[in-house]
Amino acid sequence: MHNELKITDMQTLESNKKTTEESINTNPLNLPDFTTDSYKDAYSRINAIVIEGEQEAHDNYISIATLIPDELEELTKLARMEMKHKKGFTACGRNLGVVADMEFAKKFFSELHGNFQIALEKGNLTTCLLIQAILIEAFAISAYNVYIRVADPFAKKITEGVVKDEYLHLNYGQEWLKENLSTCKEELMEANKVNLPLIKKMLDQVADDASVLAMDREELMEEFMIAYQDTLMEIGLDNREIARMAMAAIV
Amino acid sequence: MFGLIGHSTSFEDAKRKASMLGFDHIADGDLDVWCTAPPQLVENVEVKSATGISIEGSYIDSCFVPEMLSRFKTARRKVLNAMELAQKKGINITALGGFTSIIFENFNLLQHKQIRNTSLEWERFTTGNTHTAWVICKQLEVNAPRIGIDLNKATVAVIGATGDIGSAVCRWLINKTGISELLMVARQQEPLALLQKELDGGTITTLDEALPQADIVVWVASMPKTIDIDADNLKKPCLMIDGGYPKNLDEKFQGENVHVLKGGIVEFFNDIGWNMMELAEMQNPQREMFACFAEAMILEFEKCHTNFSWGRNNISLEKMEFIGAASLKHGFSAIGLDKQPKILTV
Repeated sequence: MHNELKITDMQTLESNKKTTEESINTNPLNLPDFTTDSYKDAYSRINAIVIEGEQEAHDNYISIATLIPDELEELTKLARMEMKHKKGFTACGRNLGVVADMEFAKKFFSELHGNFQIALEKGNLTTCLLIQAILIEAFAISAYNVYIRVADPFAKKITEGVVKDEYLHLNYGQEWLKENLSTCKEELMEANKVNLPLIKKMLDQVADDASVLAMDREELMEEFMIAYQDTLMEIGLDNREIARMAMAAIV
Repeated sequence: MFGLIGHSTSFEDAKRKASMLGFDHIADGDLDVWCTAPPQLVENVEVKSATGISIEGSYIDSCFVPEMLSRFKTARRKVLNAMELAQKKGINITALGGFTSIIFENFNLLQHKQIRNTSLEWERFTTGNTHTAWVICKQLEVNAPRIGIDLNKATVAVIGATGDIGSAVCRWLINKTGISELLMVARQQEPLALLQKELDGGTITTLDEALPQADIVVWVASMPKTIDIDADNLKKPCLMIDGGYPKNLDEKFQGENVHVLKGGIVEFFNDIGWNMMELAEMQNPQREMFACFAEAMILEFEKCHTNFSWGRNNISLEKMEFIGAASLKHGFSAIGLDKQPKILTV
């Protein structure tokens, strides 16, 4: 009787030779050409989004202070820091000879901006904090983390400085939500359901331009999910609650 | 604290497990969603050694699945992100299970030390290969006589001899056992020749030539899925130790007096009370685990917080003896044929 020992069909490294070769051949310092028209064109939108994002953050923290006057000083400090970031990123565009397309950026943020304004009018602090201190901050920090790896040397330095600050104020929103979790959880979940899909949409919208800057959509999304999950965990939500919230990103 | 970084054996499997664990956002997602999923700390556990020492540990699923091997950037991120999470959680020593260490090694991840605001400290991680190699050698020494193979007269073939585990197994067999002959098989000939020189022994040969001669075959290569082996060409009795990852010797094949043993699996003396090994599909999930995972536990029991198994070809006999003695002391034993009654007959 002829018997055969079969090897089961699981993927192996050998069955992915190309992968192994690619991994060895890829230079981690393989940066894009910052001088091409296509790079500058894409950069005019990405740079504008970043500048507008910092402006939004500034305005949002000033607005949030109207809901928690006790924190006025702290929030004003944060807002000032965001303006410093805005100036830094404006310099990055200038350095490459790019004019930021601010009109595009305003439109890009308009839905999220609108939702923040509605929550502010209603005095829904939790929703305001979710939008600014969780979603926008996680969006920014994830994009910056990916950008640092492929940025021109000038922008890299500026962005590294910004990221250090961003980690700081991500903590601020966390602290408030953590302290008030028992009373704000429901609103947090509801606001998340409405606003997380917007972030996903924004990421999709910017994916093509980002890829010209050698920023991979998959990596951007993963970085965002890491920052988002980290924040929610810090606030005190458990795995299942986070999973439920993250669900809104894939619908 | 000790840590274990693991992953599912397939995408379908991963989705099933995610659903069981309540991670609905990824359970329902396609492969692209999994490619963007952060690593998950799935479980915390307390383990008490046979000596009475208690330690705590965590199981982290990297959300990597083997289907991602064709996307090297994704695979790289999965491994590095899981390692970052382990370090952020303050875990002293974490084992890189399954493909994790293979990806780390083959994709040269040493050059990616900085992950976001974390600078990875390599001394917090171990491949667990020293313990795996020691366990495989013990499985060979204990189980071969049980099926009537006299070690002193036995020819042993090591398939994947130049790998980290393979070379350690060869080193042990030559120096610590009285086997009659060692056949060494590997794809790359240059490292094979170097190994032969280092060992001052062993015969370099091919898979086709080695199999009919071998009383014992140790598989420690990650094998391409296309190889078929004619069981009629194997010696009888024959002990096959499946020590590679993935464990892809199909146990359903029929052959008289061919004994297949899952290599590199250990059993703990007590129930652990975790769910993570059910996810790894162990036969006795409360006690059984990959030896590489057990290495992280042993190192934590011993307060030996160092990257004990690291890089390639660094596994010395002294290290194997150290981890082996500590393994027994804390209550681990290599699983044998009695635990896995797979004496396969026609």
